[in-house]
Amino acid sequence: MNSLTERFATTGYAAELKRAKDVLGEEEDGLDPMWGSQAGFGNLASGVVKFNIPTVPDPSAFLRMHTDDFADPSCRIKIKHGTTTLAFRFQGGVIVAVDSRATAGSYVASGTVKKVIEINPYLLGTMAGGAADCQYWETYLGMQCRLHELRNRERISVAAASKYLSNLVYSYKGMGLSMGTMICGWDKTGPAVFYVDSDGTRLKGDLFSVGSGSTFAYGVLDQGYRWDLTDEEAQELGRRSIYAAGHRDAFSGNTINLFHVKEDGWKFIGNYDVSKMHYDGPDNTGGYAYELRVEGKSSANPPVTQ
Amino acid sequence: MPDGSFAHPQERQFNPYSENGGTILAIAGADFTVVAGDTRQSEGYSIQTRYAPKVFKLTDRAVLAVNGFAADGNMFVKKVKQRLEWYRHAHAKDMPLRAIARLIQTMLYAQRFFPYYVYNILGGIEEDGSGAVYSFDPVGSYEREACRAAGAAQALVQPFLDNQIYFKNQQPPAGSSHPVHLPLPDVLSIVIDSFTGATERHIEVGDGLEIFVILAKGRSTQGFDGRSGVQELSTTPEGDRVFVIRRELKKD
Amino acid sequence: MEVSFGITGKGYVLVAADTTAAHSVIKVKNDVDKIIELNPHLLMAYSGEPGDTVQFAEYVERNIRLYQIRNSLPLRPPSAASWVRKTLAQSLRSRSPYSVNLLLGGYDTSDYTPHLYWLDYLGTLVEVPFAAHGYGSYFALSLLDRYHDPEASLEEGIETLKRCIAEISKRLVVSPERFKVKVVDKDGVREIEL
Repeated sequence: MNSLTERFATTGYAAELKRAKDVLGEEEDGLDPMWGSQAGFGNLASGVVKFNIPTVPDPSAFLRMHTDDFADPSCRIKIKHGTTTLAFRFQGGVIVAVDSRATAGSYVASGTVKKVIEINPYLLGTMAGGAADCQYWETYLGMQCRLHELRNRERISVAAASKYLSNLVYSYKGMGLSMGTMICGWDKTGPAVFYVDSDGTRLKGDLFSVGSGSTFAYGVLDQGYRWDLTDEEAQELGRRSIYAAGHRDAFSGNTINLFHVKEDGWKFIGNYDVSKMHYDGPDNTGGYAYELRVEGKSSANPPVTQ
Repeated sequence: MPDGSFAHPQERQFNPYSENGGTILAIAGADFTVVAGDTRQSEGYSIQTRYAPKVFKLTDRAVLAVNGFAADGNMFVKKVKQRLEWYRHAHAKDMPLRAIARLIQTMLYAQRFFPYYVYNILGGIEEDGSGAVYSFDPVGSYEREACRAAGAAQALVQPFLDNQIYFKNQQPPAGSSHPVHLPLPDVLSIVIDSFTGATERHIEVGDGLEIFVILAKGRSTQGFDGRSGVQELSTTPEGDRVFVIRRELKKD
Repeated sequence: MEVSFGITGKGYVLVAADTTAAHSVIKVKNDVDKIIELNPHLLMAYSGEPGDTVQFAEYVERNIRLYQIRNSLPLRPPSAASWVRKTLAQSLRSRSPYSVNLLLGGYDTSDYTPHLYWLDYLGTLVEVPFAAHGYGSYFALSLLDRYHDPEASLEEGIETLKRCIAEISKRLVVSPERFKVKVVDKDGVREIEL
């Protein structure tokens, strides 16, 4: 109601601004919601998402030229890449495990990245690809999920939440968004994991791993995975798989963040240093390192002499 | 051709970006934050100016450092300040630090398809009185940290901070542990050493140093009141306070 | 996509290689033996540029044989690996280098030790407890970090190898359907049916 009166008022800040806008022919900074806080998403609250697009014949080629470090390593804007993330469903819920390294070329830009985005107490999203794309759109997804709750008096299903995100990123297809994410949670159907990426792919499944180190994580994960894993076994498998990727993939590492989703929502299990896992293990009872595991062993088989 | 047109097709590329060197850093303490940047601005091997500030006071408890492409940086700071002023008019108070951080994310992400080529570091005091540093990439991904260096000499300064602030690769003396937060005088020494070191080894760093110190409400100026070149910038001595310390760096 | 694995165990080396000969999108043959026996206690799995592979493998085989005839003693695995590496390194600087990646497995009868060497076409040589070439390495190396045991019996070693093959069958888009597996131990080289 307030906004309605404001729109037609001839006095007050809104009218003042509208007149100024008309004179300047400017829109960008003058949207009403920008005057308030709008949960920080001031430029989105008008319903139409507004992005500034360069006035060149091919905007996505322009973006690629200046940001893609594979096409041109000397390009100025280095978007952070390189990751290992995994999530799997089992008897006791969903395990989500990720590393914490962000690289710009061969520079370790950060070793403390939060690659699990807490969408709400029942939903987690993982981050692979463009850090900003994942962080921004999954936060935005969190807002939309809350609106769903308010409108429908019940929590959004994991399927619906992931579909919302999938449709959203699909509408930007070809514009250069880069994200590979797993939307994980617990709803009326039980534990659920959906893989969503910026191509528009959306897959329901039991087990996914995404990122440059995903093959190494799969190697350990697939071989240790069973539906009837206990909670402790499942957490250990998630941690061990990210360690494997951190060890073998140069673009992954630093620390492991481990989450467990159960019926009453997600729980943060812990943060584990990959180097500490290598030498000491999660509870100092023995490191994961191959060298430690085979210490003192030999493949030689000299004949036994009496 | 005589009429000014070309006989052959001409290819043109639109490159609106440049790189203006320099380095910024920020370190959070228990009840203070230090944000610093050098003042050299260069393009290629030419120094454009020896005094172009890269660190800006936003409110009495928030300071923003911008590095990368100076024109984008200046434009961005101008727009952030404008949004904070609007917030002040609408809510009759300054925007809290964590909200400024989120605002910066959305403002950077609004330019996702035509990015500002800027690396931002936001430092200040949270509503609970603790020192905080937020670092951003050019398109708005952000993270709260205890310290962060960005810009030309990032790869020189960050490992030094990792060692001195996070005590990475350091063994505590027997029977003791590393402190969680360093006292202000120690932090200031580390900042100054970072920049004198970067000035020695990086051609794009030097000329001048501006160190902003943000103190939580009620904290005394103990730690730098003996120093020369200190100037207070806060609008009121009651709340959180902002100071700037200006120093010279080598000019060759 | 070519895939090969090598795994050491107590007194043996297991070497496995896919059996596909491919030309563009066509599988021309599906029972190719890509593991050559160089001498009674030495075998070599090869992959890489078609043509180069067999030519190089047979060249190595004949030179190893020549050494044995001249000296009436076989070349021990470490020496054989060094010679193969040298040959590849010289080839790399020639007008037409061999593009061949190798796994060399041998059993040293004089000190009762199995040896596995990983070599690539650039002349990189490294002795390892387990190895892989091709896309299989991205899946198998982390798995072997977790499951490999240098003192595993042959049965246990075969189980670990089966894990590697199962993993790439599950995850690799263009995974080969069949593998040829050979083992070398104190009794010499023999083929194993999985």
